[in-house]
Amino acid sequence: MNRYAREGVETVNALYKKDGKTRWSIMDKLLLGLTPQQYMAQLIRNPFNWILAVIFAVGLPIIAGRFLFGLSWVTHSSCDYPWGLFLGFGLFGMVPLSSSGFQLGTTVEVFGRHDFEPIERLALLNGLLGYFFAVCFLMVDLGQPWRLPYPMVVAFGPAAVLFLVAWHVATYLSVQIAEVSCSFFEWIGFPMGKRGVRRITLGLTVAGIILSTLHQGALGALFTYAPGKVHPLWYSASFQWLHFFVSSIPGGLCMVIVVSTIARKTMAWRCDDNFCNNLDKLTVALAKGASMGLATYLTIKLISVAHDNKWEYLATGWGAWYIVEMLIGVILPLIIFAYSIRRDKVGLVRFGAVLVVVGTVLNRMNTAMFTFNWKLAEREIPHWREIVICITIYSIYITVYRFILNRLPILYQWNTADEAVPEFSRSGMNLAADKPSPAPAGTYCSSVGEPASGTAGSPVTE
Amino acid sequence: MKRRDFLKGCMICGTAATLGVSKKSWGAGSFEGYPEGMGVLVDLTKCVGCRSCEAACNKEQKLPEPDRPFTDPSVFEEKRRPTERALTVVNRYDTKNENGSAGGPVYRKIQCNHCNEPACLTSCFVNAYTKTKEGAVVYNPKICVGCRNCMIACPFNVPGYSYSSAFNPVVKKCIFCYDTRLKFGKPPACVEICPQEVLTFGHRKDLLKIANERIKETPDRYVDHVFGEKEVGGTSWLYLSGKPFEQVGFDTTIGNDPIISNVKEFLGTVPMVLAIWPALFTGFHLLSTRNKDHGDHGHDHEKKEEGKQ
Amino acid sequence: MYGVRSWLIGGTLMMALVAAPPDGTAKPVPDSIKLDALENLYDSVKFNHSKHIMLVKDCAECHHHTTGTLVEDKNCVRCHKNSGATTTVACRGCHILQPFSAQAMREKNKNAYHSDKPGLKGAYHQNCMGCHAKTGGPTGCQDCHPLKKTGEAFYNTGGYAPKQTADKGKHGGH
Repeated sequence: MNRYAREGVETVNALYKKDGKTRWSIMDKLLLGLTPQQYMAQLIRNPFNWILAVIFAVGLPIIAGRFLFGLSWVTHSSCDYPWGLFLGFGLFGMVPLSSSGFQLGTTVEVFGRHDFEPIERLALLNGLLGYFFAVCFLMVDLGQPWRLPYPMVVAFGPAAVLFLVAWHVATYLSVQIAEVSCSFFEWIGFPMGKRGVRRITLGLTVAGIILSTLHQGALGALFTYAPGKVHPLWYSASFQWLHFFVSSIPGGLCMVIVVSTIARKTMAWRCDDNFCNNLDKLTVALAKGASMGLATYLTIKLISVAHDNKWEYLATGWGAWYIVEMLIGVILPLIIFAYSIRRDKVGLVRFGAVLVVVGTVLNRMNTAMFTFNWKLAEREIPHWREIVICITIYSIYITVYRFILNRLPILYQWNTADEAVPEFSRSGMNLAADKPSPAPAGTYCSSVGEPASGTAGSPVTE
Repeated sequence: MKRRDFLKGCMICGTAATLGVSKKSWGAGSFEGYPEGMGVLVDLTKCVGCRSCEAACNKEQKLPEPDRPFTDPSVFEEKRRPTERALTVVNRYDTKNENGSAGGPVYRKIQCNHCNEPACLTSCFVNAYTKTKEGAVVYNPKICVGCRNCMIACPFNVPGYSYSSAFNPVVKKCIFCYDTRLKFGKPPACVEICPQEVLTFGHRKDLLKIANERIKETPDRYVDHVFGEKEVGGTSWLYLSGKPFEQVGFDTTIGNDPIISNVKEFLGTVPMVLAIWPALFTGFHLLSTRNKDHGDHGHDHEKKEEGKQ
Repeated sequence: MYGVRSWLIGGTLMMALVAAPPDGTAKPVPDSIKLDALENLYDSVKFNHSKHIMLVKDCAECHHHTTGTLVEDKNCVRCHKNSGATTTVACRGCHILQPFSAQAMREKNKNAYHSDKPGLKGAYHQNCMGCHAKTGGPTGCQDCHPLKKTGEAFYNTGGYAPKQTADKGKHGGH
């Protein structure tokens, strides 16, 4: 895209083109303001897309095969090991990383910290896509996925924790779709919808906090059904849900740091000054929040080992693995954050964030898969097709993520000056009647190393 | 304006609240089973490993053909567990005497224990399991979504799943021959066929008395414990053994609390969070944003309007 | 003259006393008994009663006290130390064929002392095989009663054995 920007192609960031008269069409918006030939050309030029193409070529038929031939064709799930990678990585792993939605929503809307706004939409989108694809993984794992609506409408088992998870995830997805719909309505030019959603934003955000607290915790509480089957170091009779809830806090925040870093590096043309200039500062701020979460998490882990007197387990092989997980995911990041936040070393902060993300996913996979059935002699090794399907669905997630980030005003601000319906403004002016306003809609971030470009609304000039 | 938002917030949360409240109201852990509940007493000192029970179950429940004949003792070389093709299995355990010398082999029949407070039932989010008044824990394959939480929850690792079916995979486990026999007061197929009468059928309450009577009459023959009397809240299938239960494959660490007891703590937190969080966070919002300009929520604070004069 | 007649009468009386069975009934002791309770699956057992009488000698080993011999088991002696012979001696007289049928469950007296009494199959197998295991008698199922064709189908054995299939794999999900 940088090449096209240099060639003078105009980027879509408002309802109307720069001349103020021609409206961008849906096709234009979808194709990023390029002609179809240009769009295809840049798709083919991108080496990441070649990797994606290979993954999809191998993975999509296998996903189809799962539904045609049954679960036994793609997993080694057995009667002793009913849950495998789809749930261990796809559901349990992705959900804590998607807690960024409610966290940044709370920060901005409930606590009024509008300085986090540049990253708020990214966090909301991260949350939405994470949950959505966690549900996709679930659909692949369920024996009869077409019966997914059953706990909503057909038969209720309200004493089951999974019932709560099902209802909450469904409700929370709706909340998140509503929250992200603001960007969507801006993009397609439906400002009334956006205003309607903005009015109920506080309610949506509070609902989001409630639902998230409960279902992040509920996923942990699922393991209280099998108290003897998860290794005691990863299981706490009284606090399991708290472990999962508290560890989702740093998980979500660090996932936003990781995603924003990737976006900044790979989609620099799409990020505007508002995003770029604030990113480093916000990264450090997010890391501060994550450190508090990590410190709390470390404390409650220690409390639960003491509470059930499990110290002797630390001396075993499993204990060593537990210590490794805590080191990678909690202790090392805490040290890195403590050092780098103080000295404002953003690169190191980002590295710490990657460790937290890895550690969170590792913790979930340990609880759900690796230490599950620790008393049995045999471990289950996932089928290769299971691994392929996980990689494929994760690639679809990345592709959808990239698709949305390239288009919707998440990394950049939509120029709302020319929205058709006149907005109420303090000075009483009817803004729509003006010529395209001189107020910048945001200039483009250049790629790293080049100086930022100058004037309002125009692409990088030679 | 802020009142309106608060009410809107409460409405949305209230809807979420009604969805999350757990309806379970009776005290878990004190359910002794239905008064007419049947059970089976399994006397491991009598079993000789003939596997007639496996054959009878296979025919009664119309299960697929086994891999090896039911008369083949070579299956005892490895430990088996119930699967979707074999709802009950017999395993052989080579035991040790107290002085360390080799004791004889003990054969144990494994099947669903039809717990009083079944973990599978409590973990099912579509209520596919039912504890019938005759004592059987039965399963409804028509609403099962296939989440397999019941397999995670069962402390005895009993339910099997037909992973190989693409379009109708279901959980398979012993159902106490409910549909064909128990409903009519008849004993399950395995009980009827057992030549050694290892399996005694009767009301659970009476079986406990019989079991304790056997221990009293021949104390040298039995370990003084009826497995299933109290374990995980009590099961309908009870076991007597001549050798310590750990030696014959039982998990003696499972404890006496039914599985639901572990989950109740969290389930109780749910309505609390649903009730407390709305006010808590709306309160945070009001407290932290009173003097700040915070954009176009749709609710304006008085200060902001005053400030515009 | 009186001497010989009284000897004769006395002697005949004595012989009658000795020869007659102690309970006064004149039931014959069968040599061979056909056990056919499991007819649907197994051939009937031709039980060689006279051989067992010779080997075991003590009737109480199998018949408890019903043939008039003394019992020794301390749990039985509590009540039965003076019990003599009974009218019912055959196993199936007290041990019913289907002890758990709906009817039997209804009629069962849970307060009776022998409420834990095994049914016929249980009584045979526990009694017979318990002893055979100690003395080296036949203990395999088919040693006493070979399978019929219906039995072979039931146990998926013999002519009904499953075909040798490839190993279905260790993971039990299939």
